[in-house]
Amino acid sequence: MSPDLHHLSGAYAVDALDDTERASFEQHLAVCADCRAEAVELSATAHSLSSLAEATPPPSLRASVLAGIAQVRPLPPLTAENEAEPDVGGTVVPIRRRRRTAWFAAAAAAAVIAVGGVAWSPWSDDAGAPSPMARVAAAADATTVRNTQGGVTTQVAYSKQLGKAAISVKGLPPAPDGKTYQVWYVGAGGTITSAGLFGVDADGSGQALLAGEATPTDKVAVSVEPAGGSAQPTTDPLVVIPLV
Amino acid sequence: MMGGMTAASSDAPASGEAAASTTRASATGADLADLLRRSARGDEAAFAALYDATSRRLFGLVLRIVRDHAMSEEVTQEVYLDVWRQCARFDPARGSAMSWLMTIAHRSAVDRVRASEASRRRDDAHAATSLDVDFDTTAESAHASLEAQRVRRALTTLTDAQRSAVELAYLGGYTHTEVARLLDLPLGTAKTRIRDGLIRLRDTLGVPA
Repeated sequence: MSPDLHHLSGAYAVDALDDTERASFEQHLAVCADCRAEAVELSATAHSLSSLAEATPPPSLRASVLAGIAQVRPLPPLTAENEAEPDVGGTVVPIRRRRRTAWFAAAAAAAVIAVGGVAWSPWSDDAGAPSPMARVAAAADATTVRNTQGGVTTQVAYSKQLGKAAISVKGLPPAPDGKTYQVWYVGAGGTITSAGLFGVDADGSGQALLAGEATPTDKVAVSVEPAGGSAQPTTDPLVVIPLV
Repeated sequence: MMGGMTAASSDAPASGEAAASTTRASATGADLADLLRRSARGDEAAFAALYDATSRRLFGLVLRIVRDHAMSEEVTQEVYLDVWRQCARFDPARGSAMSWLMTIAHRSAVDRVRASEASRRRDDAHAATSLDVDFDTTAESAHASLEAQRVRRALTTLTDAQRSAVELAYLGGYTHTEVARLLDLPLGTAKTRIRDGLIRLRDTLGVPA
């Protein structure tokens, strides 16, 4: 892979990337096993440094934590039924009717992707890091919209507070050679802006933090584009999901 | 509050601390993973034990990055609530429990300082430094773990630039761009220093389980 991206593994392991770099490196990780393995190792190594900073928290903190957990139900483990549920406290809202901009008209005709169910294994759990979805869904105002069609489950988490959205897919075959998945914001006026490229692992799973700022009126769409991405979509959207 | 560290020894956390240092010294990974598994089933006592075994490490890291004491407590509490919520999703096959916890803690602390404006952290830096001194009592530095000594020794194998870059990024919570500026490095080179430093550290320490 690109040596530039390779060199981000260390900075990624210590959370020293800005949001945009982090998003693009995570997209890279989704398709680069070497970087994934290195990021896991370097992250574990970095955490050994925390032994240099030990400090005893006040006893009151222990009490608050234990009082806090008593009122929160732990999330269930991931299973076939709930695997695509939001990781953290997001509310699931039903998908809304699509807006019929010119591109959305094409969306109606988009080929249905038929792929069998596969195990859900977002790569980011490999590093033990909160996934992009979890990070956005952790915001107090987070909402999550879920859409399943043709065996492909797509979820979009959005936080107005953070101005950020994340997408996760399951059951999506990797893009053909020379192609990539690209995520788009589709504004209320029909303007389409790239939200970054999007990789899917061999299991058909992938997650990404969307680049740029998301606004509540946006919809998020995914299309197949030539490797490297396009300035504007060149194929029909596979899926279109409103943020809220 | 800091002066009360020893005075507060009648509280449960004090005994927890003793347990914690034992845990840290021995089979930390397996023990923590087991505590997470039990927590996932709603076992609050297991979670309390997890807290006792990890809170010095976790709170210390958050405090080092965030600096503000009240805010560090807040972040630490959020991290533990998040861990409690997500513990069923921890997969021991994919990394150690400690690494999982610290990843969540580090990112939360970093997100917090980046969101809450750098100026605040700089303003409080002095006060926090004196707090650190108060916390670092003799009793505590006595079990300022073997691991800390090992890590400190391993850090000496790094070049000065690598060590500063790694420490500023990890313990300071700075972005690689900020690190470059702080160290007067050409833009774009700090991320290489960080990676090179971590690789050398990994090779010296061995990959943590």
